[in-house]
Amino acid sequence: MATTERQSLDPDVVRKFHFTREMIEGPAYRKYEKAIRKFWSVEDLDFAQDAEDWNRIDDEQKRGLLGVTVRFLAGEQNVTDELVPMLAASHALKRFDWTVYLSTFLMEEAKHAEFFMRWHDRVVGVLEPEEVAQHFLVRGKTVDPSGRFEVRDVLHEALPYYGRRLMEATMGGTKAEIERAFVAFSAAYNAFVEGVLTMPSYEIVIDTTTGWNAFPTLRQGFKLILMDEGRHITFGTYACRVLIEKDPSYEEEVHKVFDAYRGNIVGLVEYQKAVPGLDLNKYQTMKVRHYRNRCREMGVTPDETLIEQILDPSIDFVVGVEAG
Amino acid sequence: MAKRWTCVEAGCDYEFVASDVGSAVEDAQRHIAEAHASFELEEMIEDVLEDVPAAHRG
Repeated sequence: MATTERQSLDPDVVRKFHFTREMIEGPAYRKYEKAIRKFWSVEDLDFAQDAEDWNRIDDEQKRGLLGVTVRFLAGEQNVTDELVPMLAASHALKRFDWTVYLSTFLMEEAKHAEFFMRWHDRVVGVLEPEEVAQHFLVRGKTVDPSGRFEVRDVLHEALPYYGRRLMEATMGGTKAEIERAFVAFSAAYNAFVEGVLTMPSYEIVIDTTTGWNAFPTLRQGFKLILMDEGRHITFGTYACRVLIEKDPSYEEEVHKVFDAYRGNIVGLVEYQKAVPGLDLNKYQTMKVRHYRNRCREMGVTPDETLIEQILDPSIDFVVGVEAG
Repeated sequence: MAKRWTCVEAGCDYEFVASDVGSAVEDAQRHIAEAHASFELEEMIEDVLEDVPAAHRG
């Protein structure tokens, strides 16, 4: 009976359904299930102790900590805003498992933005754009005597650029063009920004607040956010691996992205140097581990010249930082 | 199947073989904390584990 019904099924009706057994056992769907299991809410966090701690630290500590947290407040809003091209492309590539997982990804990025909004409002007393912008560390001057590197605004320049390219490919390109643009976007968003550039900043905040024995909720929030980010990063690198295995020429897109924003990664940028008293070498060295890991996850060969430059102590050229 | 994990921190070549994914995650996180005063996320460890056939376990 079942066989007879299957033979007479209308393909247009069958195409209305997307779940398969293979899909729900695959990595992207398992990340979706984990995201549902590990759900947390900003509403459950208590900011009272952090507010007390804010009132007892000195102005230099406030400036240093805000230099990092305000960057996260801006960054989390930006990554929330820039994820749509990846969702649209997943739909175009008929990867329903990617679309399903990305629904949790987008919600989590919005929640991370909410966390930083609430923390700055309830602890520091700033929320409106004009209030928080005063504490955003602006890159004053980039000095690189060799002329090899330029420090660029990767969050507000690269993500919109690669997102627009992916959206254009999704709307009017071939499948191969969508796949290539997907690899470039994911390399920028998941591998570069989330997976390498930002990782030292999480540790800077966790180490700082641990060392000060202060801001337990900020630290708790960073740890909760990191749990989500682990899925985001490895989703993006997994998707890159799938596409690169299909067409190895896509690997060059990963290297192009890391090369275009090489200057941001070979040195610690201004907000990562804002907290006094930290062993900055630790945060610089760990970038190599994160870069190599992202390459392992994507199945691409690391650029050894980039690793040498990250570890070169003579390359340290971001100066002239000032708030607002 | 047993799992191999290799640390890729600059200057470190530590590696181990664990009996399963859970043990590998635990061991890798302990190594990163003790040797590098840092942390590694669960997914990032899981995604780079290599399968080790029983005959090759040392």
